[in-house]
Parts: sequence; C-alpha cells; structure tokens
Amino acid sequence: MRRAAAVAFVLFSGTGCSDPLAAPLPSAHGEDAAPRHGGTLRLASFGDIRTLDPAAVSDQLADEPVQLLFAGLVDFDANGKVFPDLAEKIETSADGLAYTFTLRPGVLFHDGTELTAADVKRSAERSLHPDSPSPTGAFFEGIAGEPEYTQKKAEHIAGITVGGKYVVTFHLAKADATFLTLLALHPLRPVCKSAGDRYSDSWMPCGAGPFKLLPGGWDRGRSLTLVRNESYFRPGQPYLDAVTFLYNVNIVTERFKFEAGEIDAIRDLTQADTVHYLTDERWKPLGEFEAAHSMFGESMNTEMAPFDNVEVRRAVAAAIDRDHLRLLRSANIVPTGHALPPDVNGYNAEIPGQKYDYDAALLHMKKAGYAYDPKTKTGGYPHRLVYTAYQQGSSEYGAVVIQQDLAKIGIDLDIRIVSFGTYLATTHRRHTSAISPQGWSQDYPDASDFYESLFLSRAINDEDTGNTSFYKNPELDRILDDAHREMDAKKRQALYDHAEIILRDDAPWAFTYAFRWYDVHQPYVHALAPHATWVWDIEHTWLDRAIGGISRGSVIRDFSFGSILGSASRRGAPK
Amino acid sequence: MKVLLSRLGWALFVVWSVVTITFFVEAVLPADPARMVAGAQARPVDVDRIRKQLGLDAPITTRYAIYMRRLVHLAPSSAPANAKDHAGCVAFGPIHVDLGRSYDQRRPVAVILGERLPRTVALAIAAMFVQLAIGIFSGVIAALRKGTALDTGVVAMSLIGVSAPTFILGVFLQFLFGHKLRWLPLDGFGTTTLDHLKSIVLPALTLGIFGASYYTRLVRDEMIVLMKTDYVRTARAKGASFTRAVLAHALRNALVPLATVVALDLGALVGGAIVTETLFRWPGLGALSVTALVNRDGPVVMGTVIVTSCAIVLANLIADSVYVLLDPRVRRS
Repeated sequence: MRRAAAVAFVLFSGTGCSDPLAAPLPSAHGEDAAPRHGGTLRLASFGDIRTLDPAAVSDQLADEPVQLLFAGLVDFDANGKVFPDLAEKIETSADGLAYTFTLRPGVLFHDGTELTAADVKRSAERSLHPDSPSPTGAFFEGIAGEPEYTQKKAEHIAGITVGGKYVVTFHLAKADATFLTLLALHPLRPVCKSAGDRYSDSWMPCGAGPFKLLPGGWDRGRSLTLVRNESYFRPGQPYLDAVTFLYNVNIVTERFKFEAGEIDAIRDLTQADTVHYLTDERWKPLGEFEAAHSMFGESMNTEMAPFDNVEVRRAVAAAIDRDHLRLLRSANIVPTGHALPPDVNGYNAEIPGQKYDYDAALLHMKKAGYAYDPKTKTGGYPHRLVYTAYQQGSSEYGAVVIQQDLAKIGIDLDIRIVSFGTYLATTHRRHTSAISPQGWSQDYPDASDFYESLFLSRAINDEDTGNTSFYKNPELDRILDDAHREMDAKKRQALYDHAEIILRDDAPWAFTYAFRWYDVHQPYVHALAPHATWVWDIEHTWLDRAIGGISRGSVIRDFSFGSILGSASRRGAPK
Repeated sequence: MKVLLSRLGWALFVVWSVVTITFFVEAVLPADPARMVAGAQARPVDVDRIRKQLGLDAPITTRYAIYMRRLVHLAPSSAPANAKDHAGCVAFGPIHVDLGRSYDQRRPVAVILGERLPRTVALAIAAMFVQLAIGIFSGVIAALRKGTALDTGVVAMSLIGVSAPTFILGVFLQFLFGHKLRWLPLDGFGTTTLDHLKSIVLPALTLGIFGASYYTRLVRDEMIVLMKTDYVRTARAKGASFTRAVLAHALRNALVPLATVVALDLGALVGGAIVTETLFRWPGLGALSVTALVNRDGPVVMGTVIVTSCAIVLANLIADSVYVLLDPRVRRS
C-alpha cells in the first residue's frame, strides 16, 4: 500500500555514491551446479514492516515475509498467474458463483497441527471480522454473506462452507472474474489454530508456508529472520536454512553492505548506483528489471475548472512530454500514455495511448476557449492553479517538469509541497485539488485494480476518494462492471480495451509513466528472481557462496589517502 | 524545599503544556492517521472501519479527555500486568502511566519507548563523552597556545566541525571506517555487548564531533580569560605548578558555564538524534519519532514528546543543581 511512497523515496535518491563498484563475490561451483540446501539469504530495505499477520498487512514490504510464512489455497507464480497451492483441486460452478477447493491432505502448520477446511473458514472469518484491522476487507465483499458478517448481523460468513475435512466452498453473490486472483492475496490465507477466531495484536505469526518465525526472530525496526519449515508440504523445499531481512537501512549503506557480502541482493539503489550496476559488465548479468506494476499521472478534477472541460484535459495530456519525466530516473521510469502499466494483466500495447503533441495541445486549449500564443506568451487559462505534491520523490521533482510543460500551453501552476499524509488528505477531498500528481501500484495483478479503484464513479467520496479526478461516466461504469463479471478472457480484454480508449480520450488523468525496480544479486545467489506480485521469488532460491564475508580491515592495505578514499586492493577497475 | 517544590511544580506545568499543545496540533493536522495505517490505496470502507477501531471518530475534546485520564491514573497495586485495561501501563505502585497503543505497531507505546529509550540514553552518554573529551582537551590546548598555528588549527577545525551537518559527517565516517577500512560496523546495534560497543562508536563520534566543536570554542574562550585572572596568577606565585594552575584553578571555573550547556545538551540528546540514529540504524527515540511523525502515529508522537520534554525539564533541574555544586558563590547566595 505504500508502494507509491516507496517508489517516490527511491526516485528522491537521485544522486548517490559514485564510488567504483567492488567485484562480485564468486560462487563456489559452476553455473551448472545442482541446487544446494543451506545458508541464509540476507536482504535489506530502507523501509520497515508493521505486521506479519495476513489479516492486517498493509504494506508491500511485508508481503515478502508474509508470503514465506503463509501458504494460500491459491498463489501467484513468478509471472503473476494463479495456481493451486494448498488446494489440490479447484472446481468452479457453471454460473461462476461457487469455487470448491479440495485441500492437499496432510499439510501441517508450523505448530505441527494439520491444516483442514475448517481452518480455511476460520482464517477467512478472522480476517474479515469487523474488529479486524484488515485494510483489504473490501476486496472480499462479493463473498455471499460477507456484508451481513461485517455488519455483525451474522455469526459466520454464510458463503464459506466446509464440505468435509479437506473440502471448502466459497459462494459468491455475483460472478467475479477476479475472485481467484483476490484469493491468492494474503488476507485470507490459513493461519494456525493458535490465532483463534478473532484478530489479536499479540499473536505470533504461524502458518503453513515454507518458512516459519521462531520466538525472537523479529526484532522490530531492525531485522526479521525466518527459518526453514522442515514440514513444508513441498518435499525438498525450500533450499535455504533461513532468510534475514534488515529494515530501515540507509540506501547508501545498503550498497556498502552488498559489496561487503553482508547482504546478498539489493533493490534500493540510487540513480547513480543503478546506472553503475547496469553499465558494469561484471554486474550486468546479475541484474534484472522487475516488471512495471506502478503507474503515475496527473489527475485532473473533472468537477473543478478548468478541468470540467474535456478539451483542457486533453490539452494537458498532449502537453506533457513524458520523456522529460523519464530523465528524473532514466533507468527505472518507463514513459507511457496508458492507464495501465505495461506488465499488468489487461494492458494492450496495440491501443495507442495519450502522447505528447504540442500543436494538438494548443489546439485543444483553443477549443476550450483558452487559446494561448506561445510567441507572445499571451492567452491561456487566466487563473493560477494550485498543484499539490508531496515531499520526496517524483512528485516533488516531477512537479517542476509538469509546471514547465503546462506553462507552454498557458496553464500556470502554483506548486505546493506538503507531507505525504497531508497530500493524501488534500488531494483526495472533493472540490479541493484541481490537479495533482497521482500514482497507483497493483494490489493484485489485474486491470480491474487500476480501472475500478481510480475511475469508477462508485469510487468517488467526499473524503478519501479513490477516484481523485471525480470522473463520472456511466458507460465506463457499465464496461468495467461487465468486465469484472466476464469469465471469458478474450471478451474481458475487449472490454478493457474499450475502457482504455475512453480514458485516453476523456483524459481524467494525463497518464505519464510506469516505474520498474532494478534488482542485483551476488553470483552465488541462484534462482532469486523478481516476482510479479511479491518482490522476490525466494522459495526456490539457493546459495553457493565460495567465501565468507569480507573480513574487517582486509580491504585496504595501502593506507595512503588516495587508497582510502579511492580504490582498494580487492577492487578491479570498472569496465 | 520550597524552592524545590516550586521548581517541580513548574516542571509539571511545562510538561502538561507541551503534551496538551502537541496533542491538539497533532490532532488537527490534515493528514488522516487511519489512512496512513490502512495505506494510500486502501478502500474508504476499510479506512472508515480502522478509523473507528482507533477511536479517531470521536470528537477531539473527547479524545483528549480520554488520553489525559489514561495518561496518569490510579490502579490497584495488585492489578496484574496483563490485565486488559492496564496491559500497556507502566506502573509505579498504584500510579499507572498509560501512553496508549501505537497505531502503526499495534503495541503499547510504553513498551516501544522502553525498548528505545535505553539505547538513546546510551548513545547520548557516549556522544557526550566524545564531546567533552574532544571539546575540553582541544579547548584547553588552544587556549594555552593562543595565537599559535595550533590554536588557529584547532579553531579552524572547530569551525568546520560545527558547520558540517551530521548527515555529511556521519556518511563520511561510515564510508571511511565502515565501508573502506571495515574497522567498525556500518550500522545497526548488534546482538552482543561487544557488538553494541562497536556499533555505538560511529554514531557517537558523529554526534560528538559536531558537539565538540562548540565546546572547544567555549572552553578556549573561557580559559583565555581565566588564565589571566588574579587568582590563577596568585596560585602560580604561591608555587602551584602550571598544570595545577590550569586544571585546578582555571579549568574548574571554565567548567561552570560548560556544565549548564552539557546538561541541556544531554537533555536534547535523550530526545533522540534523528539524523544520526536514522543513518546508523540506531534503534533509538530519534528514528522512532520521525517515523511516527511521518506515519501520523499519534500515540508514539505523544510518547516521544513526553519523554523528550521530561528529559529537557530534568536536564534543566540538573543544570541548576550542578551549577550550585560547581560554584560556591551560588551555594552561599
């Protein structure tokens, strides 16, 4: 949930250490070596996690350890496709209203008790109970009986029925093409019986995932260590003895730790370091871009002048040169004029998106009645517009780029930089913000997450609105509702293509760019790839390290000033 | 006794004022704590539910009344520590202090502060030790060599030290001793006593060097004046060695103004060194307070403010007491 802010933080770190890169630490065996058991994978982040309870998790950073602790009926593979995990078999009724899961028999929780269908129901009710702090309960309101349960009108969710020790059925109030995708998220994942029927802050996380948490394993604000679950239902997996996450690590320190072999992979890179790793031949094969799952744009309030005029919105969409924004962080920013990031299900590259066209932008301004003459710099919209951005990140720097681009068509922006919390409160309130930078990162890998959250008229609220442009289009509402129910993939894609065209032309947002992270790992780390939904795919990762950490004091032998500040004996010149 | 009670009364008033002002300022900020807990992308229905769970749907005056009633309250001494109403309390006999529960961490604030405060105090003391050691030593040397290249060098270094922000100095020390030389841990707190000792060096140096620059100038200026005073010359004339004249007569008096500054600095350091703690991942109050502020974690913000204001008020009381101890004239008056 804090993904946009996380992206922003990295964007903010535009400059960084220009120290030459150390050489990669070697692997003990060749590339064709078989996977080996053992070792601890160490990762770090500048952020922190708040909880490990799937019923309460609200930040992307916690997704990774929660994914390792809790197995689900279904899960996402590395490409974001849903596959049966705890479920051995999934049967869907002809009307799409019932999903019956047959569980693998003999699956054990970390505490040694067997996972049964009753645990699935209990865990779902625990998570969706009105006293639970779940920030994603709304995802599951389509389960029959869920509204009555959350309004405390029913003791149990009528739509979740147990049909035997290993059989559980989810009944939906209406067909939902996203149901399995939503179920693959964390909130409803089965938790040990020790979790009880209701959420509790003091519960020690316990599930059926490949790793488990031991007492003392989570040192809040500093580190989290998960150890291998020896009774994991997939024989032989995982390969790692443990995974350690370090939190609140300064991103420059992260790089120092990575080079010293104190962490095994790195994701939070400054812009300078990203370029270093991308261009260094020794490191290039060890890096990989994650799929782009976050998109950004300029939200224009369709209830406020001048953006109640579609021609002005079109002018803005045409006036922004996305390439200017790309320069904010050239390696990670992917310019786009689409409402969806390129790697989200439903994206169709064949549909032309919004694009930079200065002449067209001037023409739209003229049609709107605000003709602007770039030579004399006269005309345009006569009032100055407040543009609320937040501290740190693309928002702060991108604001200047947007201001300059819009000035060229006669729209004058007054940039106000506020804290992230204030920004959210201000720009998500009705009749308050005419134009603001907005972003969205996938909650789940499906177009509906973006379209419905941002552009459905039902997503409009006076406070805390999801639809920040307050855009209302009954036709789009109908298309998105149809797509949500449509089980045929081709027909669904056609509906989303139609939605994309409407949004492009009506331009409630000027879509600007998608963001992708760049990950680098040491050569001795194998099968650690970016995951389409979680950050890393760790379950299959194995280590083959040739040497231990770099011993203290072993690096610099020449104590000259230049050696201390410049190069060290272990280092090779970057190629 | 009357003076002491009066000072304590003022101290309580200051703390109450700070707590009240902070509560209302924090509460009227436009950002929504429930939204920050739920996440930027949570649906409004979920944010609403969380807002109610956190009690944020109640009027601000009601919330203030509840907070103040719980902040210091009486409870039976025999109330079990895990009793629902007192689970997050710190008990001083029948007097319980309840700082509430963190929105973010969903744990009692008292527990969180209990984990963080000792680490911040340790860093504050270590930093103060560095500050005093460097500040007094270089200040005295500079004063005794007034007008020489050494004096100029010390003054120049102190100017650089006081001008360099801690985030620059800290990154430099980390880069040099942690990354390049690998003599000390890059960051963190470690798990053993030796780890803790190693880990505290760089943040303590960062804070200490910055503070020492000011102390150097203070001690130098005091010492230059004091070395010319009649009583120091008299001491020398009566046969006191140069070292004794410097240490026992001049330096002791130079420490009087320094003591006040030290006490106040120590109070401020206990409030947390935000940049240094964040850079070195030192798990203290500074890093906690900035995170709480950004995340609009009201109870933690209030908790850190209470600890900080208490520390500063206490430091003022100590400063006054130390002043009395060091200067007999104050004692007599």
